[in-house]
Amino acid sequence: MKEIKILNFDVLEKLLEGIEKPGRYINTEIGVKSKNPLLGENRKFDNEVLMALVFPDIYEVGMSNLGLQILYDIVNKNEGFSAERVFSPWIDFEKKLREENVKIFSLENRIFLDCFDIVGFTIQHELLYTNILNMLDLGRINIYSKQRDEKSPVICAGGPAAVNPQPISKFMDFFVIGDGEEIIMHILQVLKVYKKSGKGKRWFLKEISRLDGIYVPEFYKFYYYPDGRIKKIEPEKKIKKAVIKNLDEFKIVSNPVIPNIRTIHDRFIVEIMRGCPRGCRFCQAGFIYRPVRKRNVESLTRQSAEGLKNTGYDEISFLSLSSSDYSEIEKLIRDTVSLYHSNQSGKLSISLPSLRLDSFNLKLMKLIQTGRKTGLTFAPEAGSQRMRDIINKNIKESDMIETIKMAFDEGWEKIKLYFMIGLPFENEDDVCEITELIKRIIAAAKEKLPRKKLSRLKINVSINAFCPKPFTPFQWAPQDHPENLQKKFNYILKNVPGRYVDIKWVDPCKSIVECALSRGNELVCDVIEYAWRSGAKFDNWSDFFNFNVWEESFKKAGLDTGLFTTVGFSEDEILPWDVIDVGISKEFLLKEYDKSKKCADRYRTADYNKV
Amino acid sequence: MINQKNVQTDIEQQITIRFKFYKKEEFKYLSHLDIVRILCRALNRAGFKVAYSSGYNPKPRLRFSPPTPLGIESFAEYGEVIVNDNIDGNEFKEKINKELNDKIQIVEAKSLPGKADSFMNEIAVNLYTFVLDTTDYSSSSLSPSSSSDITKILLDKFYSDILGGLIEKSDFMSSIYRYEMLPSNESSNIFFLKIYGYAKIFKEKNNNFFKFNNFYLFLKECLKEYRVSINNVKKEESFTLDDNGINAMQI
Repeated sequence: MKEIKILNFDVLEKLLEGIEKPGRYINTEIGVKSKNPLLGENRKFDNEVLMALVFPDIYEVGMSNLGLQILYDIVNKNEGFSAERVFSPWIDFEKKLREENVKIFSLENRIFLDCFDIVGFTIQHELLYTNILNMLDLGRINIYSKQRDEKSPVICAGGPAAVNPQPISKFMDFFVIGDGEEIIMHILQVLKVYKKSGKGKRWFLKEISRLDGIYVPEFYKFYYYPDGRIKKIEPEKKIKKAVIKNLDEFKIVSNPVIPNIRTIHDRFIVEIMRGCPRGCRFCQAGFIYRPVRKRNVESLTRQSAEGLKNTGYDEISFLSLSSSDYSEIEKLIRDTVSLYHSNQSGKLSISLPSLRLDSFNLKLMKLIQTGRKTGLTFAPEAGSQRMRDIINKNIKESDMIETIKMAFDEGWEKIKLYFMIGLPFENEDDVCEITELIKRIIAAAKEKLPRKKLSRLKINVSINAFCPKPFTPFQWAPQDHPENLQKKFNYILKNVPGRYVDIKWVDPCKSIVECALSRGNELVCDVIEYAWRSGAKFDNWSDFFNFNVWEESFKKAGLDTGLFTTVGFSEDEILPWDVIDVGISKEFLLKEYDKSKKCADRYRTADYNKV
Repeated sequence: MINQKNVQTDIEQQITIRFKFYKKEEFKYLSHLDIVRILCRALNRAGFKVAYSSGYNPKPRLRFSPPTPLGIESFAEYGEVIVNDNIDGNEFKEKINKELNDKIQIVEAKSLPGKADSFMNEIAVNLYTFVLDTTDYSSSSLSPSSSSDITKILLDKFYSDILGGLIEKSDFMSSIYRYEMLPSNESSNIFFLKIYGYAKIFKEKNNNFFKFNNFYLFLKECLKEYRVSINNVKKEESFTLDDNGINAMQI
């Protein structure tokens, strides 16, 4: 057994001097479940398998992630296993750690990262890849899998941004694809044997690779054509995603770790359904989380009330990709509220993220409204019916305007709208229709709102550049050129009435990098390393994102960014993520892509009258 | 809207609970607002029927003593909550302490019938204790031949400078009710500087309240010259003030 080293509190105190939000780096939360070496029989972790659950973003973001709480709960329920949390230090604390030559450590027992048996990263999006390298480096762990010896922790990754493992395959010993609930203990049981016996890391990887959902990059070889396209993947056998069939077999985490400092989602979170019954062609989550599985409403209500009682939260979030598609949503809300009031005197706030707004669901919004009316969020994604048909977003403009009118009648004054530009087969009219739709919403407001209220009207419009993602029907589609995207955005900005509208726009260059990282092959590993060595980290924070660094890094790696972005893939070529079977056949995705092409053609040929 | 009626039907049943608590070690790194949220959730977990304000955005009826600066341990934090329950102070203390980490605990609680007047603005003076370490000062001033006498002379100079000059002549003096310096029993290099700072303005006595953060920076800067470091600071006690002087706060 190797020695477990921890950071002493008095050293931490010195490090925290002058650090912003020191609460990020201390561990006194209610709900902490890691094994405590000071209370146990042996005052050391002699018998525990130690896992670091790493979220490569700051505490406030990581602690809002339900997946992390679920895995943390499962591991720590098991005798002989202990999981501790590690978050990315913010810039100021990283600087201090590097200056003072102190390795990054876990929150609970302040164990240095390189003393864990296994380090698992949960990756929510591609712009966090550089943070992963940064954290390994801060833990003084070699970033390359091949260069790590038996003494090093096993490093793995999972989460939605790991469904295409290739761009970070050189850094990871293995990947977990799919649901983590069941597989995590299987992995740790094998790890325990590996650590106790003299068997090597290779034995461990071979052993776990029999499980569905485990991808070990070392066991696969990619062959390339001179132009960079993939010729062959060996072996041909794909890695099947790990799926739990019945969500109800896993109780919700009703005693999560309750953060001491304010996080971005500071409330009790309950997953009501996994997967999404809609089939929006741009949405990666809609495909990779299939099949749709819902929790039983009775046990969900009971467990929600129990969780609220355990945590003391007065706000609950019913999480899913499309809450309104949970058939008993109204019953769930009513019963949870009434159970809550048998214990509590205050009001329970309820949030329903990803609620598809129509006249029916507006009633739902009214139901959960307590106190002041907050904003209503609509995600038409596209301005024209043509474009919405292409992306299979089933929202009719007439319904939406109707709902918005009702909302104005009910007293709402703030509307938030989400749009994307650069979608496949987009033409000038489609972009133009975004501004027209906004104008029609303003007209509806003028019709419904009295003058005094009209002056307070605020429509927040958020515009994103579309980024085609693996495992969607648009996975082959070329991404729009940044200059085009900028032009389209400028058009919208110029033509939308500034009086009532606030427009937010995400830097299209960020979208380019995101696309290149999500559709990249293993050569992109070098790009990520170069970018990180040139200082890239927290790339999703606009203050830190530096496109030049990324451009330079692609150049240095001898790669054309266009290969993964504006060029797109041909339908018969082997894709970097073809090594993974996410449960949806390529034929199905291709059929969906064809359908969207047909939509585009139909509107091109037919007499299309704008309504 | 689901009818989420407040349970506070009978105003007669309402009581005010005053309590004193400490936050130490890790908890000194949490801001005032964090502490408020932590206590709110603990009240909910303990099952107390906290009274809520009426209006559009009902808030729990909870009040706290003015914020203690981030990074300072405090043994004199005060709170007040109105609940729709008939419970006594001890029961309150016992129940809520079970829901809190042992580094933030209620030491005393008292229940008063009805909605008692807030006692927060009775806090007139706060006592902060700075633990000063002169190890560096004494060792660096020692030449190989010097005796402990020289050290003593230097320490005496430091001692008198601090008392007679630095603080007395600083801008902070008008916000300080009293201060004193005490040697520690355990180590000859450790001193306690006790500052009794005004928590509010009294027209006749002072026209300034004690700004902790500014003073802390000032002191740190001054002590550099003597190579004395501040090991630790805590807020130790709060006082009320009358014609006879200060008295420790009673809840």
